Amino acid sequence: MSFTSRLIRWWPCLALAAAPAFAADSDVEQLTKDPKNWAMQSGNLANHRYSELKQITAQNAKNLQVAWTFSTGVLRGHEGGPLVVGDTMYIHSPFPNKVFALSLEDQSIRWKYEPKQDPTVIPVMCCDTVNRGVAYANGKIFLQQADTTLVALDAKTGAELWKIKVGDPKIGETTTNTPHVFKDKVLTGISGGEFGVRGRVTAHDINTGKILWKAYSTGPDNELMVDPGRTMTWTDGKMAPIGPNSSLKTWQGDQWKLGGGTTWGWYSYDPATNLVYYGTGNPSTWNPRQRPGDNKWSMTIFARDLDTGMAKWVYQMTPHDEWDYDGVNEMILADIKVKGQPRKALVHFDRNGFGYTLDRVSGELLVAEKYDPKVNWATHVDMKTGRPQVVAKYSTDKNGPDVNSKGICPSALGSKDQQPASFNRKTGLFYVPTNHVCMDYEPFQIEYTAGQPYVGSTLSMYAAPNSHGGLGNFIAWDAGTGKIVWSKPEKFSVWSGALSTAGDVVFYGTLEGYLKAVDLNGKELWKFKTPSGIIGNVHTWEYKGKQYIGVLSGIGGWAGIGLAAGLTKGTEGLGAVGGYKDLAKYTELGGVLTVFALPDR
Amino acid sequence: MNRLTNKAVIAAACWTLAALPGLLSAPALAADNAPYKVAAGNKVDAQTLSGWKTWRAMACERCHGAAQEGMVGPSLVNSLKVLSKEEFKATVLKGRIEKGMPNFENSKMVSENIDNLYAYLKGRSDGAIEPGRLQEIGK
Repeated sequence: MSFTSRLIRWWPCLALAAAPAFAADSDVEQLTKDPKNWAMQSGNLANHRYSELKQITAQNAKNLQVAWTFSTGVLRGHEGGPLVVGDTMYIHSPFPNKVFALSLEDQSIRWKYEPKQDPTVIPVMCCDTVNRGVAYANGKIFLQQADTTLVALDAKTGAELWKIKVGDPKIGETTTNTPHVFKDKVLTGISGGEFGVRGRVTAHDINTGKILWKAYSTGPDNELMVDPGRTMTWTDGKMAPIGPNSSLKTWQGDQWKLGGGTTWGWYSYDPATNLVYYGTGNPSTWNPRQRPGDNKWSMTIFARDLDTGMAKWVYQMTPHDEWDYDGVNEMILADIKVKGQPRKALVHFDRNGFGYTLDRVSGELLVAEKYDPKVNWATHVDMKTGRPQVVAKYSTDKNGPDVNSKGICPSALGSKDQQPASFNRKTGLFYVPTNHVCMDYEPFQIEYTAGQPYVGSTLSMYAAPNSHGGLGNFIAWDAGTGKIVWSKPEKFSVWSGALSTAGDVVFYGTLEGYLKAVDLNGKELWKFKTPSGIIGNVHTWEYKGKQYIGVLSGIGGWAGIGLAAGLTKGTEGLGAVGGYKDLAKYTELGGVLTVFALPDR
Repeated sequence: MNRLTNKAVIAAACWTLAALPGLLSAPALAADNAPYKVAAGNKVDAQTLSGWKTWRAMACERCHGAAQEGMVGPSLVNSLKVLSKEEFKATVLKGRIEKGMPNFENSKMVSENIDNLYAYLKGRSDGAIEPGRLQEIGK
């Protein structure tokens, strides 16, 4: 810890009074620059999930073996992953959201923190209690508990430093996202799109937890934190101001108050532009007929100034959602050639099946192409308007309530859900864990009751028809041209965060529980069956000259969803595709971290 | 939709409403004293139809499965074979919070339709009502 940050930690008043501006920045950016650490959930500010470490290579990955293991003692879905800072690992669990600090020297538990949470939050999270991991900065660990409490712990002792509640589970608000530390702030979101909550992001002072700004996804301009004359969006082939009441105009009456647009994904930050990037989730309800209009700014990429919270630009991917294609997936910041020109790009694999490349400085739309050939709900994205061209047959709004719209690809799971992709700085390509699942979708009229489910749709899901029969693919993607470079079929959805390394290895986990290593052509080099299905994210670090790979297993999350054949006659369609039902042959619950390394010579 | 989950998949070992294992369900016709009326498997009386609509509106399938087969929550096909009607109502209205079952007493729809919901699920458990969409008899 630097002297300045220690100063700030112990003498916040002094810091306020006298510290130079730069002293306010946390050490997290610096820590992520040392590949020995894994100091943020995504490895760095830009969501790369890439490591410069290269002890493990495409040549020797076949020799990987288990170095050690650790059980969290918790069942249910284990998303996210541990952090490594110096000689300590910080590992979390789903509800009850335990945190452990482990010594990398002997794997002993330095401290353990287990918050007291009201169990009434569990049913509101129905049906899984995932958490996507902790954040680190300036000797503090930040945990976003399920009950919406954001807490800061002393990284040395586990002692609580401050806590603040950012939501109300009584109205269906819960939290599953990792906190994001950018500069001197910690940002967090909200979940509850199925309970009619109103999405927002809050920025907090890392030293006190005090709210610095709060920006909603829906509602009046001042609460959106937009400037109608200066916040821009892609309009008719160029950037133009969004104008006044951009959100209010796209909702009926005061439906924006229950508008959804939750914020449970992976945010990123570019120090050069001082912009934070994140996506918003589905509009509530899932019955599109009940909420006419574009429902802005649900399903939107937001670029906000970190210090003021004001939006510089926005881009709505799925206006008037009719399929639950949340826009929350990770925003990856990459400097790549787009259509031959070098660009400061933002790359985003949306639930709606399109891989988007935007200019992250201006917000201009550059590329929008399908990253699964089976995507059929829209023919393409019109590059002038930025709007997807919806195929009438798959419009659940046009077909209407109590009509079953069949064969829509992707399913509500999206061509990808939250499981984050990796950007390989060496190859310039993206390695993406995907779902290969389609659905039938039948909306119905639903009334809102605070704290009760506000969904209004019945779904059936099945493997993409006329394909390889599996539920997923692991792909390499060229974001500069919008093309799939290669695609490796998987039996189940790939619901694990990917990792690529300077050793030319790409890692990902599978729902049966394999951790797999592939080379840059997608050829399988090695696999190992961990104790349970993997929905956690692979990460890597170095300790005492040795490179380690770690991944949480622990099946759960939406990935384990059974085939919901809610509308077929009899049992037709129930397990017709085998689908996720087959998972039971491979795996059971239980959270375990498995750590791998090469054998000692 | 991030919290929907489950482990349909994974044998519902984490908890069961009932201590007894479910009996194999043989397709059955509604007994004379059954709380529901059913024809052709998917046509039911108005009350039972309201029970199904309540099931659907509360998104019960997210935990119990589209065919009540059990996912993160237990199989209701099995549970309704061993639970009394009173035990069923208490479980739905009061919940089993620690295990993830919400308390639905604050839902007007559930409170008003609790008998209808029981009728629908009993019909599913008896094997007399098919999974999925239902219609009203004679409509």
